[in-house]
Amino acid sequence: MNTHLLTLLIFTPLAAAALMSLVPSRGKGLHKYIALATGILQLVLSGAMYYLYRPTEAEHGIADEQLYQFASHVPWIRLDMGSLGRLEIDYAVGVDGLSLPLLFLSALVMVIAVGASWKVAKSVKGYFILLMILNMAVMGVFSALDFFLFYVFYELMLLPLYFLIGIWGGARREYAAIKFFLYTLFGSVFMLLVIVGLYFSVTNPATGAHTFNMLLMMDPANHVPGSVFSALAGQELFGIPARLLAFIVLFIAFAIKVPIVPLHTWLPDAHVEAPTPISIILAGILLKIGGYGILRICFGIFPDAALQSAWWLGLIGVVSIIYGALVALAQRDLKRMIAYSSVSHMGFVLLGAASFTTEGMAGAVFQMISHGFLSAALFFLVGMLYDRVHDRNIYHFRGLASVMPRFTVFVAIAFFASLGLPGFSAFIGEAFVIIGAFISGSTNGILPEWMAIAGSIGILLSAAYFLWTLQRMFFGLPRLKGGDAWAAALRADASARETLIMVPLIGLALLLGVYPALALDHINTSVLALVEWVNKVR
Amino acid sequence: MPVPTLTYPLLATLAAVLMPFLAFLLTAATGKKARNGAVSIAAISISLLAAAYVFAHVWGKDPIHVQWHWFSIGRQAFHVGLLVNNASALMLLLVCLVALPVHVYSTAYMKGDPGIHRYWAYLSLFCFAMLGLAVAGNLLLMYICWELVGFASYLLIGFWFTRDAAIQANKKAFIINRIGDLGFLLGIAILYSGFGTLDIQVLFGTDTPAVSGTGNLTPGWFTAAGLAFFLGAMAKSAQFPLHVWLPDAMEGPTSVSSLIHAATMVAAGVFLLARVFPLFDGTVLFVIAVTGTVTAFAAACFALTQYDIKKILAFSTISQLGFMMAGIGFGMYHVALFHLTTHAFFKCLLFLCAGAVIHEMQHVKQKLGHDFDPQDIRNMGGLRKHMPITCATMSIAALALVGFPLTGGYLSKDALLVHGFEWAATQHGMALAVPCALAVASMLTGFYSFRLLAKVFFAQPAAGPLTGSHATLHDAPLPMRIPMLFLAACSLFPLFTFHPLNDGHVWLLRGLAPDATLPPLRLLHFAIPILATIASVIIATVTWRWYVLGKYPLKPQGALYRLSLHQGYLDALYMRAIIPPLMRLSAVLFWLDRHVVDGFVNGLAAGGRALASAAAWADYRVVDGLVRMTGKLALGLGNALRRSQTGRVQHYLALAFFLMVVMLLYFIFARA
Amino acid sequence: MITITHFLVVGAWLFSIGLYAVLARRNAILVLVGIELMINAAILNLVAFGRYDSSLYGGQAFALFAIVLAAAAVAVALAIILNVYKHHKTVNPEDISDLKD
Repeated sequence: MNTHLLTLLIFTPLAAAALMSLVPSRGKGLHKYIALATGILQLVLSGAMYYLYRPTEAEHGIADEQLYQFASHVPWIRLDMGSLGRLEIDYAVGVDGLSLPLLFLSALVMVIAVGASWKVAKSVKGYFILLMILNMAVMGVFSALDFFLFYVFYELMLLPLYFLIGIWGGARREYAAIKFFLYTLFGSVFMLLVIVGLYFSVTNPATGAHTFNMLLMMDPANHVPGSVFSALAGQELFGIPARLLAFIVLFIAFAIKVPIVPLHTWLPDAHVEAPTPISIILAGILLKIGGYGILRICFGIFPDAALQSAWWLGLIGVVSIIYGALVALAQRDLKRMIAYSSVSHMGFVLLGAASFTTEGMAGAVFQMISHGFLSAALFFLVGMLYDRVHDRNIYHFRGLASVMPRFTVFVAIAFFASLGLPGFSAFIGEAFVIIGAFISGSTNGILPEWMAIAGSIGILLSAAYFLWTLQRMFFGLPRLKGGDAWAAALRADASARETLIMVPLIGLALLLGVYPALALDHINTSVLALVEWVNKVR
Repeated sequence: MPVPTLTYPLLATLAAVLMPFLAFLLTAATGKKARNGAVSIAAISISLLAAAYVFAHVWGKDPIHVQWHWFSIGRQAFHVGLLVNNASALMLLLVCLVALPVHVYSTAYMKGDPGIHRYWAYLSLFCFAMLGLAVAGNLLLMYICWELVGFASYLLIGFWFTRDAAIQANKKAFIINRIGDLGFLLGIAILYSGFGTLDIQVLFGTDTPAVSGTGNLTPGWFTAAGLAFFLGAMAKSAQFPLHVWLPDAMEGPTSVSSLIHAATMVAAGVFLLARVFPLFDGTVLFVIAVTGTVTAFAAACFALTQYDIKKILAFSTISQLGFMMAGIGFGMYHVALFHLTTHAFFKCLLFLCAGAVIHEMQHVKQKLGHDFDPQDIRNMGGLRKHMPITCATMSIAALALVGFPLTGGYLSKDALLVHGFEWAATQHGMALAVPCALAVASMLTGFYSFRLLAKVFFAQPAAGPLTGSHATLHDAPLPMRIPMLFLAACSLFPLFTFHPLNDGHVWLLRGLAPDATLPPLRLLHFAIPILATIASVIIATVTWRWYVLGKYPLKPQGALYRLSLHQGYLDALYMRAIIPPLMRLSAVLFWLDRHVVDGFVNGLAAGGRALASAAAWADYRVVDGLVRMTGKLALGLGNALRRSQTGRVQHYLALAFFLMVVMLLYFIFARA
Repeated sequence: MITITHFLVVGAWLFSIGLYAVLARRNAILVLVGIELMINAAILNLVAFGRYDSSLYGGQAFALFAIVLAAAAVAVALAIILNVYKHHKTVNPEDISDLKD
């Protein structure tokens, strides 16, 4: 199995960015073709990895190196720090069933985002270079197995996003960009403290030095006795068990990304102000990094604390589901409505993960993938409308079905897929999250049954806001605020490029809904390993 | 699990289910050119043949039970499977048998509609989902088909999507059905948590966990699961108080109403309950019986005063579904399924006839250019002379609905009533109210059915659009007439038994009969049919006098009348008591989100900024101020001292002298 | 009898007159005269105190030394004044402020 495939996948965009910087700004759209070629290359690479990946049952839980394939492990920074020992930071990457589907999702969403950026006119060169840097950071986050490396990629993501929102965004772009930046930074600075704490609590059994390797951090056997985050020492900080505190800090860092109520308010602003492709990336990839971080890092390294807080996590999930759905019901801006629906749908991820059942957790991962496709599709559709008339207010449209039939078909499919119509991926995700949350009560007793019931109300509410929008905007006799000018602008139904972008998104949502084994076969081993890993500490 | 061997009945089942799906794909791919519906009709015909073959193969013999591995979650495998037993074979055949006439009927009824290609696609999609629902072998697959029929129904109700009422109605239908779907989903979750499988055969076959009580479910959860499934059935089968979507759903094309909202989809709830029947304990059955009875009675009352021909039929459907539910509640699911079957034929026929009438009324409307509601029965009358075949078929259907001897309805409805009384005999005293209410509802059925017939066909035409335009009215065209005649034949007794007056010989009931039946009360088996028939004759006479002879004694302004006309104000209650608070809640939450949650964040940011400007001020004024003050002090001092430097020798000398003196004085006095 | 006090009083008196002339006169020559008076006051004091050193006559010797020095100083000073006059066309010290920065 080729170990360089993953590295290639991560750093291709960097090479593309370097190449782009050599092409002069007058390069006649060459930049976007480079970006597209990079995206397609990555898609092929990740697709090949997806195909080559062989799910193997892990014997030693989630810390088992066997689980991680395409791994490569190269010493990166070695620094003698005197009495503090040697600093060991490795370039350690590898993928398992949690990260591989998300990698593929990211590659696809990136291609979609490049496609959606086709009409960008403002400093194209800078835009695509930033996009490529973001691309690399995202790929790195999903592949990193060294916590320090993870952190580097994680922070690296912020920078291009800040500029992409802040420069290419809408009217209140600066506010949104700064809000997004500060929110995320708020979470991640404390994460750094935990990383350092973990570093001093864990040694590499092979070299005896402290290490940032996540897999080594997971195994309590590698903990330094009596150290602050040692599983056995039971240290306390500020009167709270240190491991629980660390878990909470990490959880908040990732939960901001997910996002959870009440740490979600960056999301509507960022989504509304960001240009369409960035909204697509935000919803399609960035939110998943939160969920991925919770599963891989919070649950993997602190399973004991995760079990202690599971009830609260479930509650947060339920609150996010219902709150997000209710607030979405009150929106007039289509994009904001979809942003809030993201909050609601990502709540399912948290609820499923908190159930610590294979059904719930697999449902959560599946929901992440599904939401990646569908939210990208939804934001792209909003962008299509906005491109034409520069308005997104739901009340300013009526009867679009008669004006733009093909567009309406796309919207209707995307809406019904998002509200969990069977046959589409969201149904599998949400149904198994609900089932997982429900059986948690009788199998491991973590979540009470009412949480599953409350969560299912979110499914009902999602039907309400999506159908209301569909009825309000698309059906009825055509009546547009902008009158004939709008009608003329809208008469141009979905173009070939737009159709080409929508079809794979919807197609994948449909494919995963009809044949979920495509993703679940990969997810299963990792989820099983994680669930057993967590349940071992009970 | 090994791959099941493909036997002919299995292939036939798959063909029956998948043919309409193929038709859907083909029609959708063809787009606007698929106007004549040939693909869909061919598909449903093949389905019918296949279904008949399956039925012949399965009825009374071993069920087909196969499953293919679909996906695994963790170590738990999920399957797509078929379970074709007597009930599902019957359902499979019934759906095809009703769907084919409706398809044929639609060729004429929907002719010339600009969106007809969508119509055929949706209709085929519906047939696929409904047939899938009938044969699905596990609850997950069944749930999927369950939602898909709802989706197809959504599409078809909103088929004329530029009509406001239609798109309001389909939204309402889907959302209310969603409530039921949640019940279904929770039921699935409860069963899965208890037994770790969703296979219907494993769960509810003979000697299974759900029956014998193994598995780790407490009795409370058993009841909850039963109620959850019932909630699902309530929404789909339009049971009180979730029935409100069905009258609105009449905004769809009439052919759609006949197939989906009368014969098949709305009966899916009854079918579901029959399928998971072993799950129900006494509490759940009692709840089902009472809900069914309340529905049957309330909907019959609402039907009494409606003027929209389709609304009358819609309420009648709800009422009849209530009868079926009550049958389930009595534990007599075979009777419920029997009534489902007879009802499917005659109710579908009623709608087709109504469609034929509406069709003609619309022609009149177009020709005259008058603006009137072609569905309002006050505008009709005397149509018997112009549409004799429609009149005859509709009369047969109405008589079946009323439960007149020689019809299928007579057999099934009387069986239901009889079993109702038998059931009441095994319960506490108050339970007798249930069958009594059903009997009253049955009489009300007679009333509104005869009222409809009288007003549309027999009474003198009111001073409406029909006066003077009779020449333009004629019977429905052939593609509409044949399905009507076919269904009329199916509504009569010979399809079910050759003994027209005794339900004991119905082959259908024998094939489905559960193991445990109620202790029979012989007398009722004679008394009830006779009494019911006499009652219907009396009611028929009364309605004839009232509506045909024009001796109407009541005033249409009474409180009860208005209550009935406005459907018990239930819709208004929902529109006032549920929707606005929900919308207000969402608005309040949004406000909170903007001002409290986000306000907190923004406040934090403002606080940070205030702190920063305070620090900047302090930095400029205090820290930097100190530095600048030192500099200024030095400068000022220098300036001050500079004054002494006059450049004049004598000044310097004087100063030197002065200092000398000071020093001297210091030395002198300091020494001292 | 003339005591040493009388000498010292005369010396002080002379010094004061000299000092006044140095600080107040508007003519550099007279300032120079004032300086001479002050030197002479000092010399008087030397001579007066010289009687306490009867073995070496240091007072007298010093006085002679000082007189010579004073004469030399006057010569130099007059030369300076002459140059100042050449340069400034005045010998009034008030008008000369070149020492100012």
